[in-house]
Amino acid sequence: MSNNTENKNISSVLKSVNKPGRYIGGEYNRVMKNKDEVKCRFAFCFPDTYEIGMSNLGVRILYDVLNRDKDIWCERVYAPWEDMKAKMEEYDIPLSAVESGDPLSSFDIVAFSLQYELCYTTALQMLKLAGFPLRSKDRGEDVPIIIGGGPCVFNSEPVADFFDLMNIGEGEEVLVEICHLYNEMKDNGTYTRADFLRAASHIEGVYIPSLYEVSYNEDGTIKEYRPLYDDVPTKIRKRIIEDLDKAPYPDKLIMPYVETVHDRIVLEVYRGCIRGCRFCQAGMVYRPIREKSPETLCKNAQCLYENTGYDEISLISLSISDYSQIRELTDGLLSWTDNAHVSLSLPSLRIDSFSEELMKKVSSVRTGGLTFAPEAGTQRLRDVINKNVNEEDLMRAVGIAFRGGKSNVKLYFMNGLPTETLEDIEGIADLAGKVVKEYYTLPKQDRPRGVSVTISVACFVPKPFTPFQWEKQDSFEQLIEKQEHLKNCITDKKIRYTYHDAKVSFVEAVLARGDRRLSDAIELLVEEGAMFDAWDEYFDYDKWMSAFERAGVDTAFYTTRGFGLDEVLPWDMIDCGVTKEYLLRERKKAYEGKTTPSCAEHCNGCGANKLGGKNRWCN
Amino acid sequence: MVQLTPQHPYVTLRLKFKKVGSLQYISHLDLVRTMSKIITRAKLPLWYTEGFNPKPKMIFAAPLSIGTESVCEFMDIRLIDDISPDEVKNRLNANMTDEMQVIEAYYTEAKLTDLKWLAYSIDIKTDGASTELAELCERVLLGEKVIVTKKAKPREEAPTVDIRPLIKEITAEYRDGRVHIDAVLSADASSFLNPEYVIKALRAECGILSNPDLTKEYYSIMRTAAYKADMSEFL
Repeated sequence: MSNNTENKNISSVLKSVNKPGRYIGGEYNRVMKNKDEVKCRFAFCFPDTYEIGMSNLGVRILYDVLNRDKDIWCERVYAPWEDMKAKMEEYDIPLSAVESGDPLSSFDIVAFSLQYELCYTTALQMLKLAGFPLRSKDRGEDVPIIIGGGPCVFNSEPVADFFDLMNIGEGEEVLVEICHLYNEMKDNGTYTRADFLRAASHIEGVYIPSLYEVSYNEDGTIKEYRPLYDDVPTKIRKRIIEDLDKAPYPDKLIMPYVETVHDRIVLEVYRGCIRGCRFCQAGMVYRPIREKSPETLCKNAQCLYENTGYDEISLISLSISDYSQIRELTDGLLSWTDNAHVSLSLPSLRIDSFSEELMKKVSSVRTGGLTFAPEAGTQRLRDVINKNVNEEDLMRAVGIAFRGGKSNVKLYFMNGLPTETLEDIEGIADLAGKVVKEYYTLPKQDRPRGVSVTISVACFVPKPFTPFQWEKQDSFEQLIEKQEHLKNCITDKKIRYTYHDAKVSFVEAVLARGDRRLSDAIELLVEEGAMFDAWDEYFDYDKWMSAFERAGVDTAFYTTRGFGLDEVLPWDMIDCGVTKEYLLRERKKAYEGKTTPSCAEHCNGCGANKLGGKNRWCN
Repeated sequence: MVQLTPQHPYVTLRLKFKKVGSLQYISHLDLVRTMSKIITRAKLPLWYTEGFNPKPKMIFAAPLSIGTESVCEFMDIRLIDDISPDEVKNRLNANMTDEMQVIEAYYTEAKLTDLKWLAYSIDIKTDGASTELAELCERVLLGEKVIVTKKAKPREEAPTVDIRPLIKEITAEYRDGRVHIDAVLSADASSFLNPEYVIKALRAECGILSNPDLTKEYYSIMRTAAYKADMSEFL
């Protein structure tokens, strides 16, 4: 936000809000361009605070890619915190971009990264603060094109009426193509909103919700998705980057003045996941697996270190210890990081591929805890969800952790998983107890002081494009009962138990599997001021329920109802690579308690390899 | 240049820098984090603290509070190599944005704690600004006592403090619709006076900045010079 928004002095406003540093921009390594010399002004919005948005790797990558194009100037926009939002409304200060301080109305394209369902209200509040009509159909020619992207758009139907265009899959290439099409139509005078959106629908990976008509059966299920015109595709295939090793990666990062959530160098090691846990959407929709080479990654790291001065490098992927060349990569990095006082962190360790060697490499500077995710309390249920780890793996991993001086172990679980019984819940407490016991099997001199095991339990939310996409969610009462039962099973004071609010998971489930009939409820919430629903202190379950009720939404239809296997799903027009046949096969195996080996062992025929992709496991 | 020995493993380089414009909204803590990345990027021959978690040493004089700009900030860094101060200055400036730049760099053994007074230039855009109002402001600040009410702790009465002994010099004048104040205030660690207290006193005593519309009335504060106890220039 520049100091002279519409020549209004807002220095007193900035002095009156919390953490004004998050609104000022001016960071080292930001990209400044002359607005008169670019054809397309692109506002990249993150519907959360600056501190969270600045930490997002996807935004960092796309900001870099878009700004490599001389005709495009990509700027960043974040959601103002409540105090700032109130001041903006009081003084008529429009939402503006961090780089230029210009209001969003002076942009050509305004894109939102939709990372979690509960950010929808924040995204729509940002549209309101920008002064844009909420619904796509109400927008005139002078309003920028509003784009949605990120993991949520694999089922974007609940917010389909609010966005003009959805970017399905990885955005590096498709966003640039969208800008080029826009520039071309503006240059040759053929641009109108409608004509542009129609033409954009021909770009692979672009979904234009307004070009589809939805009809419903009497029982409320979807009858059909029909394109309005013959040239509009019936199925939208997601986009991927074929060769990550050759794809552009930022050689510098914007250096925030205020502390952000992930204030460090992030190296994206690979995309996709070889595992195939049956509840996990990321493990399915980011297929096929594409790795970067250790050489490229080491080069990226060196370059980023020199251009940022960060003292920590975080290796990012869905399961870092599954990287086929993890030793080469960590050795390559450690050859210079120690001397430069730079530490490595690996945020996503799997129990079965965690080793002493790996831990030593990351623990040279930092002590503290380690986190593992067994996800379920019994082997039976772990087989159902295809977690493919067993108790011995976990005991081995925590043994290594304890011997390596880590005294805090955090274990992630889920409850409400398909087929789950109270026995599985008891298994969570048992497992935590065995971890504590494992600590005491160590000779006293080898034990780090003060063992503490934290079990953190989330509620299962059935997600599109997973083998569990048809499953019903436990009722609110069932989830509470299970949480209570687990609480009663834990007697050891060394075990700390935290769990997610079942109310939040319930709303997430409605949004995750919802369709276009949710839009009235979401609009009601936004008109009544809902924002930052991903923040506990702002999430208001009663307001959500009231809005659903007033808009005539039956929440049970989307949550506790199992979806029919032959039912048309709200996300059926999207092709994420993985086929429905594969998901059905996996679902069947889940109920049989059979596991599926990882892609590293052999190809399970998920279908994602039709999308191409270099350096993948599958052939 | 001092000879480096095991007893003196580093030399101290003093940096005088500015922090202006929107960077007035960056807290001191955030400045420290930002600086550590800047000195890393500049590839200076830094001395690292010994111990388990080695860090380069940075010592700052008189931290700025949010909302105050400055053209005379001081910080000391420790180096293990002979490098020309101008080289350090150039490398650092290449790694900072325009709103923060090193003005001077020099080797010194003088203590940062010798800084005892700081000069501020305060510009107040307020309704009813006039020569008379400026005179009133000056009179109030040069009065026998200048009582300011501090922020109250929960369930306690707000304490008051007399800031008059911490004011060395004050002039106020009316300029282009604004009240302009030049002040020299105590910067001693034990009796540091935040210039916001001057604004606070004037708000209470002269009724300035009382418009509820925050965009109509505003003020800016710039730290402009630093002095030792005897009012000679601090270097």
